[in-house]
Amino acid sequence: MKQKKLRNNLHKVMAVPAFILFFIFFIYPLFQSIGLSLTNWNGFSKATFIGIRNFITFFSDSRALNDIKVTVLFALGSAPLLNIFGLVYALLLDKEFKGKSLVRVIVYLPAVISPLIMGYLWYFILQPQRGVLFTVLSHAGWVISGNWLGKSGPALVVLILVNVWQFVGMTMIIYLAGLQTISPEMYEASDMEGAGYWTTLRYVTLPLLLPSIKINVITNIIGSLSVFEIIIALTDGGPGYATESLSIYILRMVHGSFTGYSTAVALILFFIILIPVFISLKVMKRMEYEA
Amino acid sequence: MNWIRIIQKTGKYITLVVISFLSLIPFYILITIGLSKNVGKLKIDFSFLPDFHFVNFILAWTKSGLGISLVNSFVITSGALVILVIFSSSAGYSIARFASPFNRTILNIFLLCMMIPGIINTVALYTLMIKIGGINTRWAMILVLSANSLPFSVFLYTNFIRSIPRDVEESAIIDGCTWFSAFWRVTFHFLKPVTAAVAILQGLGIWNNYAQAVFFLQRKDVRTIPLAISMFFQQYGANWSLMAGAAIIGLAPAVLIFLFFQKFFIKGIISGAVKG
Repeated sequence: MKQKKLRNNLHKVMAVPAFILFFIFFIYPLFQSIGLSLTNWNGFSKATFIGIRNFITFFSDSRALNDIKVTVLFALGSAPLLNIFGLVYALLLDKEFKGKSLVRVIVYLPAVISPLIMGYLWYFILQPQRGVLFTVLSHAGWVISGNWLGKSGPALVVLILVNVWQFVGMTMIIYLAGLQTISPEMYEASDMEGAGYWTTLRYVTLPLLLPSIKINVITNIIGSLSVFEIIIALTDGGPGYATESLSIYILRMVHGSFTGYSTAVALILFFIILIPVFISLKVMKRMEYEA
Repeated sequence: MNWIRIIQKTGKYITLVVISFLSLIPFYILITIGLSKNVGKLKIDFSFLPDFHFVNFILAWTKSGLGISLVNSFVITSGALVILVIFSSSAGYSIARFASPFNRTILNIFLLCMMIPGIINTVALYTLMIKIGGINTRWAMILVLSANSLPFSVFLYTNFIRSIPRDVEESAIIDGCTWFSAFWRVTFHFLKPVTAAVAILQGLGIWNNYAQAVFFLQRKDVRTIPLAISMFFQQYGANWSLMAGAAIIGLAPAVLIFLFFQKFFIKGIISGAVKG
């Protein structure tokens, strides 16, 4: 009798296994991180509580502040470009034409490869004096230094462009998915009203795309602000620390046995991500009401 | 006029060719370097034809020990995907069909944690892994990576199950199923598109994982592809042809699997991701 009752109620608790797994390997360490961030633990010896001193150290370290700047600049370049190009690509590839699915697959292809390997691939192309781009350009008679990765400004631009190149397909797919949910009648109605392409885009397509825009904006903010693989492969944070992102800084602090400190930095990165995410969620919620 | 349409059409096709070209050219360069005879030089005679010097691949294969890494990546990815699909589909079912404060709380926690990048947990997770003896083991890596992928998968499954009608299970209930068994016998079979999306999207993320692997898989015999490639590159950085050969071997499985399943993938994303 009892067993039968259990069986009839099993469906109510089917989320429990997933939650337990998630709790052990994500939520529990997350809370532990908060505790660790208040200690001077080095990974081996006993940890001592030092209050918020790690946070004070962070904000008085010029390298750390530079890393915040790099991370934020990277995201400011990368996230908007990904969204704009993803949307343009999706609008281009939404219409019916021959070879449509082939082009979609080609555009998505770079996104399936590890950013680390992708970074190495671009290193072949961009390496100063030796890279493919340098060789091709100098053969064509262009005298250039070819030092795209050696100066902080250009290196950051290159990193942003490579990142956009790799993940534009991901953003595009989500927009394509959103475009599919818009019924043709909406466009017909807009056409009947005599609206042109841009008016339709502004007042019909974009408002109806809001769910996709939401997913893309959020995932691109998170992805760009926690970037590190592509940087490791292309510049390794250099020259000096000029292209070091916060995630790389965290990894290096862990390797350097600044264990407690590294969790403090991780929490700071978490807030750096959370703030723009919440702001954009708020803004988009308002747009939803207006639409 | 008719020829305005023609110009529009050609313009469009030129754009498409440019877009495809832009996405493909780095791969072409990689393959050319990988097949090049002289180590580390791209032949510049503007014919850009590869040398078809396949020895590089054999050399890269034997020197890098990529074989064992392929096996590791394969075991970890498939193990994590099995757990991920079973756990997140059943969670999605319960959350989508049986609203309760309990289920709502779980969904909200998952949604909130979607915004937290996994790297934040690294240190605390490392101490946990030492405690459970999970360093340098594939099973612990499977658990960590499937746990990290749960929020987005649960989100996708919940959205998808909400969009299929309840009658699917109700007829099974009439036949004597419980709600629990109705899910596995009936509903689960309707979930193929979203399962494809989860498998490809999350499977690629797990296959390509570096942030966790670099800490938890340090021994050579448990290394995954990205780790093996980065080790190899640090060792043979000057020998481009060898590096390119290794890179091609490293990225081929992901590309092939994607090309094979891309149809289901795009359909699955469309049906799972962007509703509500």
